Amino acid sequence: MGIDLHTVAESIANKVKNRVDEYIVKLGAENKLMVKYARGEPSVTQSWQTLRLSLYLAKAGRISVSSFSAERPDEILRRVLDSLELLKPSPFYAPLPEPSGENTEYVDETIKTIVEEGDATRQVEEIGFSEPGDVAGKIEFWYLKEVLLGSNGADLRHEATSFNGYIRVFKGESSGQWSWTSTFYNPLIARKAIERAGELAKQCAKLPKRRIEPGKYRVLLSPMVAGNLVEHIAMAASAGSMIFGTSFFQGRKPGEKVLSEKLTLLDKPRDNTLPGFRGFDDEGVATTNKAIIKEGVLETILHNTKTAKLMNAKTTGNAGWIMPAPFNLEVEPGDATLDELISELRNGIYITNNWYTRFQNHVEGVFSTVSRDAVIVYENREPKYCTERIRIADTMPRLFSSIELIEKEQWPIQWWEVEIPTRISHILIAEANISLPQ
Amino acid sequence: MSSVDESVLEKAINKMLSEGASYAEARYHEIRRTSILLINGAVMGVEQSVRSGIALRAIVSGGLGFASTTSTSTEAVEKAALRAVAAAKTSATGVKNPVRMSPARLGRAKYSVAEKEPLEDIAIGDKIASLLEEYKVLVLERNGFKVPNTTMIYTDSVEYKVLITSDGAYVESRVPRVAAMYNLAAVYGEKRANRFGELGASGGYERLKEFRLGEKIQDDINSLYISLVEAKSPPRGKLDVVLSPEIVGLMVHESAGHPSEADRVLGREAAQAGMSFRATYKEETIGSPTVTVVDDPTIPGSFGFYLYDDEGVAARERVLYDKGKLAELLHNRETAAIYGTESNGAARAMDYLSEPIVRMANTYMKPGDYSFNELIEDIKHGIYIKKYMEWNIDDIRWGQRYVGLEAYVIENGELGEPVTNVALEVTTKELYSSIDAVGKDLVFYAGLCGKGEPPQGVPVWMGGPHVRLRGVTIRWA
Repeated sequence: MGIDLHTVAESIANKVKNRVDEYIVKLGAENKLMVKYARGEPSVTQSWQTLRLSLYLAKAGRISVSSFSAERPDEILRRVLDSLELLKPSPFYAPLPEPSGENTEYVDETIKTIVEEGDATRQVEEIGFSEPGDVAGKIEFWYLKEVLLGSNGADLRHEATSFNGYIRVFKGESSGQWSWTSTFYNPLIARKAIERAGELAKQCAKLPKRRIEPGKYRVLLSPMVAGNLVEHIAMAASAGSMIFGTSFFQGRKPGEKVLSEKLTLLDKPRDNTLPGFRGFDDEGVATTNKAIIKEGVLETILHNTKTAKLMNAKTTGNAGWIMPAPFNLEVEPGDATLDELISELRNGIYITNNWYTRFQNHVEGVFSTVSRDAVIVYENREPKYCTERIRIADTMPRLFSSIELIEKEQWPIQWWEVEIPTRISHILIAEANISLPQ
Repeated sequence: MSSVDESVLEKAINKMLSEGASYAEARYHEIRRTSILLINGAVMGVEQSVRSGIALRAIVSGGLGFASTTSTSTEAVEKAALRAVAAAKTSATGVKNPVRMSPARLGRAKYSVAEKEPLEDIAIGDKIASLLEEYKVLVLERNGFKVPNTTMIYTDSVEYKVLITSDGAYVESRVPRVAAMYNLAAVYGEKRANRFGELGASGGYERLKEFRLGEKIQDDINSLYISLVEAKSPPRGKLDVVLSPEIVGLMVHESAGHPSEADRVLGREAAQAGMSFRATYKEETIGSPTVTVVDDPTIPGSFGFYLYDDEGVAARERVLYDKGKLAELLHNRETAAIYGTESNGAARAMDYLSEPIVRMANTYMKPGDYSFNELIEDIKHGIYIKKYMEWNIDDIRWGQRYVGLEAYVIENGELGEPVTNVALEVTTKELYSSIDAVGKDLVFYAGLCGKGEPPQGVPVWMGGPHVRLRGVTIRWA
């Protein structure tokens, strides 16, 4: 990655600055290596070295956003600038804010070397990914260097690394899946996830399999499941979702109680142990750690300057030029151990993984999601049997208003169904509606 | 105009072979895209992008490696070739079943999709004007019912690729596409609902007019009105059900197309998009003899159109369920080699950052010979589900759920009052076995299908006729 990003970004800025009122140039160089496993062996190893340019332009209230990976940007720049002249002023437009962001750097040199050389053979061995036997999943190493230059005076840099992955362990017809995420390489983080996935697979392999009847159940959500669902809560708190009409917080205001008082959901861009860590948003505004939901109360609607103007609020440093979004999520831990949660589950279902969360009605938060991997049914506090592929079919507000307990241990999760790095615990829900084909 | 110095691709192939690769593949992949975002009839902004770069694959000692680079300089591409080989060697250290490429009908061809009105000839101002015209005709309010949020996203793109493989494939292709998505959020008193819609096709700007976007959106607004204002709760229990082409299209995509992807059957996507019931299903029959489901990339004008896949293999129709029996799987060259067969051309990559994996293109149920009236005429007490609002399916593509937005009671062979929140939750076998009559109509719907790691979204069509199901369980959602 010998290219001087700042020089390239400056040259782009110089090409556009006389033809627009405002601009932001975001230039990122990303190196990534991923080893993917299936059937207990590596199925493919992938290596990326990507240079990506994103550009925000505004002129007389007209807005254009563009991105290109091309090395020679002149042709597309000309097209973008010409198009800008043909647009109409956008009601979405707001002047760029004063840049308050800070440069951030958190680089693990081991990861940087792995992605530059495209070789993770030693680390893959050290992690012992395939030790449980029949496994599938991925191990990912990622390095990002980014500059952001703006007509508002923003001149910011960010450099970061990430080590994340997930594993599905099979034992006979049973399986368990878990994930991990971090900003530095630590094989122990991965090994803990591998062990947890293995334990779940083994536990279900030993138990009989049985169908359950649809109905209301006490459920224990694993961090994988809870992480998927709270991501939808966080995105519903984005002003963009409210403007697009896809938020179940539509019409709700900060200060209103919306969910259980046991739930505090934070956006933590300044947490340098999670890969969404950064000191500035896409408008150059300083990021801050903040509660989205505090003890069940809607505390923060996530804004950029444009959504803030439309909703008569202030930016929260969560730009996205179009859609405000959180960077890292954390659910504040409770004080119960996993054993205590299982004991309190009494008669209920431990759902360890899910996918395909789909909304029947975004604005009312009516959704269903399908379990996968181990689903353990407890009777009188004892694991009695495993079931499979059941659905939680409920509403987000109802489900997350019936939290009983939250585990004190937190798990750093990131995978296919939890895109935003999330630190979260097991969550015990007093009542969830469960459905499945009859 | 899109172009690439093909000698760079050849140098990459040679570099990978000289470093020990037994198979090498180089693909220049460029997608130029323009999107226009309208909220409540106002242009919020325009997004333009060019994603271009080179994707390389190598097999070394049975390990598969992939590398990509945005730079097309010889130096950068040769370095990427070394990374592809290093990646393949990383895979090879743990590989137990060496990756091989099956025999296949490899192409040496150039093709492009014609545009009556070339996308690049239409000024962005004209595209915006057309969208505003479509918006203007919408009736967003009546009898206390309102649609306060209307989001429309227009996108056109031109995908240009040049693919070369070490065993002789050469394919250059250019596919322009037009798509439109919208979300409508409606309110009536305390009740709220929303509806997503998606349209897409390959071709030039003329396709936008063919979408009749305004009419489609208005039709969905009417469905929301019926659902919020007029509809009652549906009857429950075992009922005869007629499904519309919209739901049949989604159904065959989810529970015929996905489980027929050979990489899922083999477990290559086990930790991501999941596996397939076809891995362990012992029976030959999956549905009634009236059911035939195919996937065909070669349908002119389709959203999932291609003539050669991203491994250079000639595309053709694949029969997935044949008169109720399980039939072909969708293969790329890797899965075909494991099955000892030829690839049937199902390898697709989203962009230069993506490896080609087994994908659907245009999946649909073959029409039968029933008119809509014939389908409902002997139903004494049933339901017609016209539009859905929620669906999902488990990770082996067996248990699935569809929730109707607009549906009607069928009484004594005639459509009756509207009902909503109709939930059909069935297994794949129950679903396809309960079909006893298939309509003679055929309608396609567009979508972006997600799979892979990193996730890849590729354009597809899914479609079918109206079908009649006998005695399936209906619940309230």
